[in-house]
Amino acid sequence: MKYAAKRILLLLITMILVSFLAFLAFEIVAGDPAQTMLGTEATPERLEAVRQELGLDRPFIVRYFSWLTGFFSGNLGVSYNYKQPVWQLIAPKVENTLWVCFISFILICIISIPLGIWSYNWTNKIWDFFRTAFNQLCMAVPPFFTGILLSWVFGIVLKFFMPGRFPDLHKDFAGALRHMFFAAVCLSIPRIAMTIRMMRSTVIGEMEKAYVRTAISRGNDRKGVLVGHVLKNSLVPVVTFLGQTMAEIIGGSIVVEQVFGIPGLGRFLVASISNRDYPVVQAIVVILAFWVVIAGTVADLVNQAIDPRLRLGGSK
Amino acid sequence: MKRKILAAVLVLGMTLGLITGCAGTTSGSTSSGGTADTGSTEKEEAAEEAAPAEEAAPVHADEINIGIAQDLDESLDPHLAVAAGTKEVMFNVFEGLMKATPEGDLIPAVASDVTVSDDGLTYVFTLRPDVKFHNGDTVDVQDVLYSIGRNSGADGSDPLIPALSVISDMQGEGDKVTITLSEPMSEILNYLTLAIIPADYDKQDTEPVGTGPYKFVSRTAQDNFVLERFDDYWGTPASIGKVTFHINEKVDGLIRGLQSGALDLVAHMTSTQTAQLGDDFNIEQGSMNLVQALYLNNKEKPFDDVRVRQALSYAIDKQGIIDLAFDGYGIPLGTSMFPSFSKYYDESLTDYYPHDTAKAKELLKEAGYPDGFEMTITVPSNYQPHVDTAQVIAEQLAEIGVKATIVPVEWATWLSDVYGDRKFQSTITGLTSDNMTARKLLERFRSDASNNFTNYNNPEYDELLAKALASTDDAEQTELYRAMEKHLTENAANVYIQDMADLVAVRKGLEGLTFYPLYVLDVAALHWAE
Repeated sequence: MKYAAKRILLLLITMILVSFLAFLAFEIVAGDPAQTMLGTEATPERLEAVRQELGLDRPFIVRYFSWLTGFFSGNLGVSYNYKQPVWQLIAPKVENTLWVCFISFILICIISIPLGIWSYNWTNKIWDFFRTAFNQLCMAVPPFFTGILLSWVFGIVLKFFMPGRFPDLHKDFAGALRHMFFAAVCLSIPRIAMTIRMMRSTVIGEMEKAYVRTAISRGNDRKGVLVGHVLKNSLVPVVTFLGQTMAEIIGGSIVVEQVFGIPGLGRFLVASISNRDYPVVQAIVVILAFWVVIAGTVADLVNQAIDPRLRLGGSK
Repeated sequence: MKRKILAAVLVLGMTLGLITGCAGTTSGSTSSGGTADTGSTEKEEAAEEAAPAEEAAPVHADEINIGIAQDLDESLDPHLAVAAGTKEVMFNVFEGLMKATPEGDLIPAVASDVTVSDDGLTYVFTLRPDVKFHNGDTVDVQDVLYSIGRNSGADGSDPLIPALSVISDMQGEGDKVTITLSEPMSEILNYLTLAIIPADYDKQDTEPVGTGPYKFVSRTAQDNFVLERFDDYWGTPASIGKVTFHINEKVDGLIRGLQSGALDLVAHMTSTQTAQLGDDFNIEQGSMNLVQALYLNNKEKPFDDVRVRQALSYAIDKQGIIDLAFDGYGIPLGTSMFPSFSKYYDESLTDYYPHDTAKAKELLKEAGYPDGFEMTITVPSNYQPHVDTAQVIAEQLAEIGVKATIVPVEWATWLSDVYGDRKFQSTITGLTSDNMTARKLLERFRSDASNNFTNYNNPEYDELLAKALASTDDAEQTELYRAMEKHLTENAANVYIQDMADLVAVRKGLEGLTFYPLYVLDVAALHWAE
């Protein structure tokens, strides 16, 4: 209970802080929303009218607090550019991005954890060299490149999906999922490589510990010890790492969304920043902050389930 | 153990499912149940989804998919929308009393006929009977009075189109609208291409209603924009039933869309981009109808000296830029006018300053810069052609000892600092005329024009403009506009470069692409070959 309260407080503080910083950043950088909206058609009179309409003539702090009170009463405001309620605009984007991240996360989990453990057996073999080299390659290749490659092979040559036309998630769920699957693959490749390396080194470190030696000297076979004891102990750092990965994926999704033409949060954030569409940027930034905190919290909870000792440490 | 891992995955799955579910319900328009409940099982499906091959791309007889790089991310109200990309698409949705033809003429649209009094002060428009709005209502004089009045400031507010404040009175009766001007203005019909929209309709911002051959269906931000043929259109109905514009801000994405069969048409491509397309496409060439130039801040040293501006004009090789950065596509320009406006365009000005570095150096010496100087070129970084041009220019200027530093800025910054506050030395951009008037291109160099971002200040030019605007004789006015162009060239107001080529990739079998002297895409003219 105490833990939950602490977490919720942390979440609130993070969101408020982040939203304030985002607001402040716009105050500092050049570019005026009214000017950006009117473009080369701007006349002093029209600029003035638009500024008034958007409430930009009010001082910074007043604008921030009116945004904040709106936020807490569940009103994210209206987009400067699209003239539509912010939530109506970003809800489908949130959905798309979450699906990409979710599929990508699942891929990371189901591929890298078993492979990480399995690759332990490869120590001191020539194979290990190739494994390391391949792993390095996967980590080094930028997602936009794999993205172009994947969309060419699977989209243009094999026609598994159609680059350039993203199906509506609610009308053609399978089609949209197919589209997002390749984006998720591209997003997860470097992270799978990282997680494998992480998993492997943790397992190796764990296998050298005294309790393993004891277990083996008592006659247990290596595989049994690996699965029965080592795996559980190796998972804690990996879960923490996966929590961070979850938070990072959403950042990486910006690039794959552009390459695969998926209308997601990342692309929308970039466009809204260059349009100076504050209400949209604020909303997305807060969602991302929420996401990062939640990912950390879930990782904590899972770790506590795996290793109850952490729970004692946590409530000290 | 396994159970614990499974539990961990499930916790995450459910969190996600929950959030996705919320996304669905709150937006109101989507069904939420499916996504929320299946959260944790979908992953297996996703993995399998890759396997089955999809059937070949279907041939859409009654449908077209067009790729655009610019989202329609603003008000869709035709009187408030400003972006060229928005107008390009909405050209298919709205019409005015008059409308443009591909040849650059004006023909009656919502009006069937117009008569002008001998003094050029009274215009009487007869409305076409039975012109319908997309919502089914018939256009009446009230709608016309409302639409024009909104732009001319009839209710005493600031006019959306300042030039229209020349309208002193408007009367509507039966099917006739009488417009009285306070002084003659020959371009009035160009301005009256402004969209006729229903009076008393307040959702124009997000659900626009007009009278054009296509009606608005939906807009999904950063994703797509859908139009549908309007069957009650007064004129020849469009051939293609459904039009979907797919948005991808990366041209590479649009190219892949063409290659995969997702897109049928993409405009505004470069020659390097079209070269990547295979035999499935025809490449049609038009022009962008804009004046790309190195715009100089005439108030800023050293560009306040005409000799320095002329030196730059001699030093910069337009054809060299076109060859190097644009594969030879593009028409070199010598003044603020492009060839589509053939009436006003004076080709002889193009080579007024032939490429001549010796002469350029001489002029610099005369002006007191024997060793050249340092300058900055501010370019909007989102617009690659301008960035490329800047790079070639910087190279060319180095030959006369001028060290140009390129400062790439975001579009929003460009608008506020360069265009708004005029805090720049030089910049590269393209200026256009969205209503087919020479006036729009030339008026901005009047000393006190609010959009005179180059700070050009010359009483002689102001006088020519005043005369041209006051003129009621078309031939005389044309001469005056031409004199203004010559003036800009002689005084080297800016270093004029080119009217950029507009390459359009069109899927074979799609016919009817028509170029206008405007930045528009006429979808109604497109049709699939039998």
